[in-house]
Amino acid sequence: MNAPFFKFGYFGEETSLIVAFIIGIGFGFFLERAGFGSGRKLAAQFYLTDLTVFKVMFTAIVTAMVGLFWLSVFGIVDLSLVYVSQTYLVPQIVGGLILGVGFVVGGYCPGTSCVAASTGKYDGMMYLVGIITGIVVFGEAFPLLKDFYSATPMGKITIPELVGVSYGLVVFLAILMALGGFVGAEWVEKKFATKVKGVGQ
Amino acid sequence: MSTLSEAIEVNEVEEQTLPKVEQNAQPFWNPYLAGTGLGLVLLAAFVIMGRGLGASGAFSSLVSVGMQAVAPEHTSANGFFTEYLGDGTHNPLKDWLVFEVIGVIVGGFISGILAHRVKGSIEKGPRISSGRRLLLAFLGGGIMGFGAKLARGCTSGQALTGGALLGVGSWAFMLAVFAGGYAVAYFFRRQWT
Amino acid sequence: MKKIQLSLNQKLALILGILGFLAAFAGSPYTGNTATMNVKELALLVEKQTDHVSVEELADWIIKGRADHRLIDVRSVKEYEEYYIPTAENIPVASLFDAGLQRNEKLILYSEGGIHAAQAWFLLKAQRYNNSYILKDGLAEWKDRILFPSPAENASPEERSAFEKRKTVSAFFGGTPQTGTADTKTTAQIAMPKLDMPSASAASGSAPKKKKKEGC
Repeated sequence: MNAPFFKFGYFGEETSLIVAFIIGIGFGFFLERAGFGSGRKLAAQFYLTDLTVFKVMFTAIVTAMVGLFWLSVFGIVDLSLVYVSQTYLVPQIVGGLILGVGFVVGGYCPGTSCVAASTGKYDGMMYLVGIITGIVVFGEAFPLLKDFYSATPMGKITIPELVGVSYGLVVFLAILMALGGFVGAEWVEKKFATKVKGVGQ
Repeated sequence: MSTLSEAIEVNEVEEQTLPKVEQNAQPFWNPYLAGTGLGLVLLAAFVIMGRGLGASGAFSSLVSVGMQAVAPEHTSANGFFTEYLGDGTHNPLKDWLVFEVIGVIVGGFISGILAHRVKGSIEKGPRISSGRRLLLAFLGGGIMGFGAKLARGCTSGQALTGGALLGVGSWAFMLAVFAGGYAVAYFFRRQWT
Repeated sequence: MKKIQLSLNQKLALILGILGFLAAFAGSPYTGNTATMNVKELALLVEKQTDHVSVEELADWIIKGRADHRLIDVRSVKEYEEYYIPTAENIPVASLFDAGLQRNEKLILYSEGGIHAAQAWFLLKAQRYNNSYILKDGLAEWKDRILFPSPAENASPEERSAFEKRKTVSAFFGGTPQTGTADTKTTAQIAMPKLDMPSASAASGSAPKKKKKEGC
């Protein structure tokens, strides 16, 4: 079979925008289903009372990862055609730290703030305005940040490539780590949920 | 006894610590089920488009278009904005991520409506005022917008998508996000707890 | 045997665990450089000759400034530098799969006589680049009919007027129409027309082609 379909020319740019819209609907739908329209629930992750963020995120990651792996092994999907973004190690780590701070201060991330805004949360809407402002600031500061922005490039490197083990083994280890993490998360939640009241659901 | 309805409902211990949000709001889904659903959506993106999800990129396109409308010469000299504006051959808003984000808004709304969770409200803890919360929401958004651009993505694009693709930078990013959040959680406890 | 009752979460975890465990023993998910093709289908395509582009058509498209295709010169760098058809990009056959060609782009391949172009076409087709075409009879035909056209002997009036038209086309591409017995078919002094090369016309400068962003 020839997948990714778009890369094999089964449909054009215009149709891909409709595809984007539909996939976005699925994305937003499941985000809200998980309760991520609530800043309290999202922030609770960082107070250890509600680790839904960790559970949902890692379940999603391993589901997509394992699905893509098996589809590729069976030749249904051409993995080399799936876009992998470039790694710029240091700016991504620094950006991640900043993002983590923004998560706790604001209570959302870009995707979830859209869901929050669309379900009536005023703070979600303010958050969106904040994101736009943050991007403007970044853009204006870009001439100064340009060099740092492109520091430590490592290309489109994956963990199997970096460590030198087989892709399948990394998939297995990631799943083990996720499953272990879920067990740990359940334990942590039981421990902390009774202490703090009123956070998240 | 593992009926699906039982599995979807939140367990009883957590329910007792609930604040009274909405009387007829349905409980959230089992996180593992929601995560699986999300993962399948991401997988669909991989299989159909050969790319993953994202969010911050759509905002960058929006900002770039806005900046160009307000200050065209200044914007065209800025390498960051011009990347999102493209080479003029097509409308920068006809971008995959822009349409995807519009879908996210719609999808979130649909789920909210179905679960009676759409309500004008402000998410905050009991120890902070609404005004302060809104200010912090704005500030948090700003910080995150800046960080997302530096990291070339946000949790949807880099963490979810890059994580599923086992990208080195993406996993490093993910760990950094959790680290950053936990590091400052103490200082903002009054906002949430 | 006592029935083991698993909760939904445990079922999900079990499925995931099994898939993960098996993954450790599965092969590489990358298909690499292998390709499978339906030979019968390809043979039929070859016979139908629908994947040919004539030199006249190409000349016409170039003059009209059509940008819906990419013209690829699959010869070596040296040969390309000596002369290339205007608007052509040089991608030697061996570098074809490193060049980032997209499957939804229309590609027109040419080589000196057409053999290498045809071979390249075959390779691309095997990797599902279904929008690939071959310039019929290659650069040799281009020189013969476009750059250095010669009138037919005992030409009819229609052929003579057609030849006038070909002279203007030839002039556009910097060639010399052949009139007499002297064979001046050399590409050494060709004056290349000033045309927008696909790689030079990008305003943004960071990416030569109109590369669609796929990041987040």
